[in-house]
Amino acid sequence: MRLLTCLLLCLAALLSSASVRAQERPSFIENNTLSVCTNPTLPPMTFVNGADLSAIDGFDIALARELGALWHVPVTFKTMDFTGLFPSLAAGRCSLVISGVLKQAAREHLFDAVAYLDTSPVIVAPSQIAPVTSFEALAGQSLAVESGTSYAARIEEINRTLISRGKPPIALQQYPSEDQVVQQVLVGRSQNFLSQDVELFYRQAQLGGKLHVIFSPSLPGYSEFALYLRRSGQDKALLAAAIDTLKRQGKITALEKKWNVGKAARAALGVTSERPRFNTATFFSALFSMAFLKGAVMTLVIALASHAAAIVISIPIALKLNAPRSLWHPFLRAYVAVFRGAPTLLQLLFIWNALPQFFPIFREGWFSPFLATWICLSINESAYQVEINRAALSAIDPGQLAGGQALGMSPSQIYRHVIFPQALRVALPPTINEFISLLKTTSLASVISLQELLFITQVQVARSFEFTEYYAAALVYYLAMVFAFLHLQKRIETRFVWASRASAGGKTGPRIESPTDGTEASRHAA
Amino acid sequence: MLHNLPPDPDCALSLRKLSKFYGEFLALDRISLDIAHGEKIVVLGPSGSGKSTFIRTLNRIEPHDSGVLMIDGEVIDDKTSLPLLRGAVGMVFQNYNLFPHLTVLENCILAPRLVRKAHRDATESLARAYLDQVGIGEQADKYPIQLSGGQQQRVAIARALCMAPDIILFDEPTAALDPEAIKGVIGIIDSLAERRITTICVTHEMGFARHIADRVVFMDKGVVLEASPPEQFFTAPQSARARQFLDQMIHHA
Ligand SMILES: Nc1ncnc2c1ncn2[C@@H]1O[C@H](COP(=O)(O)OP(=O)(O)O)[C@@H](O)[C@H]1O
Ligand SMILES: [Mg+2]
Repeated sequence: MRLLTCLLLCLAALLSSASVRAQERPSFIENNTLSVCTNPTLPPMTFVNGADLSAIDGFDIALARELGALWHVPVTFKTMDFTGLFPSLAAGRCSLVISGVLKQAAREHLFDAVAYLDTSPVIVAPSQIAPVTSFEALAGQSLAVESGTSYAARIEEINRTLISRGKPPIALQQYPSEDQVVQQVLVGRSQNFLSQDVELFYRQAQLGGKLHVIFSPSLPGYSEFALYLRRSGQDKALLAAAIDTLKRQGKITALEKKWNVGKAARAALGVTSERPRFNTATFFSALFSMAFLKGAVMTLVIALASHAAAIVISIPIALKLNAPRSLWHPFLRAYVAVFRGAPTLLQLLFIWNALPQFFPIFREGWFSPFLATWICLSINESAYQVEINRAALSAIDPGQLAGGQALGMSPSQIYRHVIFPQALRVALPPTINEFISLLKTTSLASVISLQELLFITQVQVARSFEFTEYYAAALVYYLAMVFAFLHLQKRIETRFVWASRASAGGKTGPRIESPTDGTEASRHAA
Repeated sequence: MLHNLPPDPDCALSLRKLSKFYGEFLALDRISLDIAHGEKIVVLGPSGSGKSTFIRTLNRIEPHDSGVLMIDGEVIDDKTSLPLLRGAVGMVFQNYNLFPHLTVLENCILAPRLVRKAHRDATESLARAYLDQVGIGEQADKYPIQLSGGQQQRVAIARALCMAPDIILFDEPTAALDPEAIKGVIGIIDSLAERRITTICVTHEMGFARHIADRVVFMDKGVVLEASPPEQFFTAPQSARARQFLDQMIHHA
């Protein structure tokens, strides 16, 4: 009896200790991993540090790893566009957003935030511009900011004050990534940009001393970086406790030093060297890098997979629409109209960001950017392909059907062996044109973080600031692929020897489609 | 009087009150006709009289709406197997309807291979034999576009022959041919008759009709007005409509 009580007590103790440990771990740790959403285009906080895309690095990444170590769980990173971060957090694709995001009241309406690093906003201008002491000095000037951040709203607010004082407003220019914001001032399109100090510390080496801070305004809501999480029970308190622990252990100070984001960094501002306009070495190393090759392969694969699926979807729709009117017609017409009418970018964003809000199943890991892009582009492309197929099918003489029927062939035999091979010839050139256009459309998928060629390019630019070199390398890849398919198109057209008397003349050429099996060689030898 | 007799199972084709509507429009009006095995029938009539419709009902490319169609003793209706029917009743179209993406030989062997599941080698040698027979054996590996109209016509005939039909329907086989080529077609149709293949041939060519017909069938507005031997039809047509038609043809020739 006493033994049993003892056992029960032991069991209770074990259970309670287990529950205490579980409480230490926040509930956002699912499947025993800490998954982090980040937009790796914001050095030194989060960026791709090297030629390989998997090599994401920075203060935030290191901090996430420290958190993982503290909770004894592995950390996985999901990289995406900045605008995708919060929708992904809401959709449950990740536990935390750690991406150099400022702690701001507007975001805290929807999510919980835990601050981890002090920062300051800075107005940056070319080196020859003298420092200023207020926003009023910037009235009437242009200012570039990153879109998707709340800088824009803040500047609008300042503009209202300026206007009320009879001053011209600051002309706001928004760009989708930080590197593009900086580039606008470098190329002279904007007079100033607004960013955070940490970035500038890091950029110094790349900016070649051309820019400097002219104003460090004190803006509430721009003075701390924060981790964001879904609002849930004790999670916020547990995360804050974890950050405190890391601070006490000196881990955060070590990271500040390593990534040059602490107060010491300010002293080093302005010491730089000149950079060449076009770095040939960078261009060639990008051109022959594994990362670009992989990006190009991804572009090609997603385009081929999408177009193949589009063709499969479009053939029955085209056949139905070319047949006498039926109940299907209005639905199929609507399908074609909707997917041709809506911008492809909007469709991508809808599938990736809106769909998971209606169907939680699309939040899960299997619903990858690749799958989302594939589904989206297949459907989108099928709407265009339907029109090509319809035109090709109606170009076939109805006598061909009668000819097949009179020989006792079934409708499916007639379609397979008589109609389709002829329709193929009509459809192939416009289909390859469509494919070439699709190949370029895939670059839109960079917004939902598909690691295709443009995404790779943007990541590399964000890291290195070498715009021209990486854009040029991407251009070479796109052009090479497009020209290869244009060449293929030419080759294929000459293979349809039966279509024109001139090319069919003389010897019988090779054929695309043969309904009969066995060897053809004996015949062609004759 | 044929109207009220039962269909004759000993005939190649036996039709009783065969009618066909396109919607409200009566395209064939109660056609009754007996055609013997190996007989050569020529169908004449003004344009729009229903000649094409008539021969298209015989292989059920246009199913009839009422009446009886009996082929070789079998009643043809919606239960008839189409591959079998069309194997027995071949057709050569006015514009040939050859398959442009296939060579002459492939045009000939496609249907036997698909419909009859015939062996490739046997089909091929048969097809070559028929192509030789219609005089274009050396064109077997060319594409239709490389051939003249008369040669394409012969390919169409060879293609129909490859299904080994008992009956062949011709829709205006001479419409696009020069006189030399027409002579060739006459020769081919004669040789078919020798092999007891029944031919039904729509034409506008009076000389051609006179030459090959065992009997001329004259149609107007979907009705068969006469079915008589050519000597009788061309010299002493019974109906006023046929006389008028022949007058017109002679004046326009
Ligand atoms: N598929 C069709 N649908 C409706 N009417 C048709 C169709 N085919 C033929 N017709 C009509 O039937 C009549 C007979 O046509 P057709 O058999 O082609 O005449 P012919 O061959 O004697 O010139 C014509 O009035 C024609 O307009
Ligand atoms: Mg006709």
